[in-house]
Amino acid sequence: MREAKYWIKVLLATLGLFVLTILLLYLYTSRSNPASPGHKEITIKVIIPDEEPQEFAISTDALTLRQALEEKELIKGSESSYGFYITEVNGRRANEQKQEWWCITKGGENVNIGIDLINIQDKDTYELTLMEGY
Amino acid sequence: MKFSLKTRDIAIIGIMSAILITVQVAFAFLPNIELVSLIIIISTLVFKWKTLYIIYIFVLVEGLIYGFTTYWICYLYVWTILMFFTILFKKNRSPFFWAILSGTFGLSFGLLCSIPYLFIGGVPLAISTFIVGIPFDIAHCIGNYVIALTLFKPLYNLLNWTKKNLLTQ
Repeated sequence: MREAKYWIKVLLATLGLFVLTILLLYLYTSRSNPASPGHKEITIKVIIPDEEPQEFAISTDALTLRQALEEKELIKGSESSYGFYITEVNGRRANEQKQEWWCITKGGENVNIGIDLINIQDKDTYELTLMEGY
Repeated sequence: MKFSLKTRDIAIIGIMSAILITVQVAFAFLPNIELVSLIIIISTLVFKWKTLYIIYIFVLVEGLIYGFTTYWICYLYVWTILMFFTILFKKNRSPFFWAILSGTFGLSFGLLCSIPYLFIGGVPLAISTFIVGIPFDIAHCIGNYVIALTLFKPLYNLLNWTKKNLLTQ
């Protein structure tokens, strides 16, 4: 009887952990950035201090911002344990010695997820700004 | 609670820290599949509070290997939290219990590690960092559960035997 009670506890705790995992998975998949299949027109602004900003109109079927920008060969970067890290935009490489890095914003608002997780929507506007200092 | 250290204790701390660092580096190529959690649990059960020294030597060396960046701030408290939870349930010797605790720790790892981001970019950054890391947390949970379930008993018996037969003479 005591052993049966123990196994019921083990089973319930494992089940609880499983339910928690499923809830987190749901949270992940339904995050406020849903994928949008189909054709999209997006605008990319490349902003480099002391230079004239450049604007690119992109017509794409890509799901993520990374896919769209790579299709147009607008960005280069490297894979890291945190995801894709942009090192170059439109031929302008971020100089690590000067602590330069590329910041992604959407309509001026900070985007706090990696470029390969940003699902693009039709008429989106993103800014890629060269920043200095970490 | 005894914090004073004898030569034997220093040797134990050195060996256990070296083991912890070695297994972390050895498993580093597998994202969030690690033996560190289980070793900290077992070490806490066998060596009790001495594990605190083991954890912080491990954390210091991790910083020297991988750099003192945001993850390192998280390491300063995350393993200690696991140690405290282990102390709370120190009488339990069921592999299933430790598998569940280790799995829960793996699942909450991202949440715990999102705390420094609260101070860097506020709640939105902390939440998005946590959400982006959920697949890694799930892998961490499954990995920790399976590893603790299969290795808790043999590793606990080995460490306990070592302590009783080799370290108490």
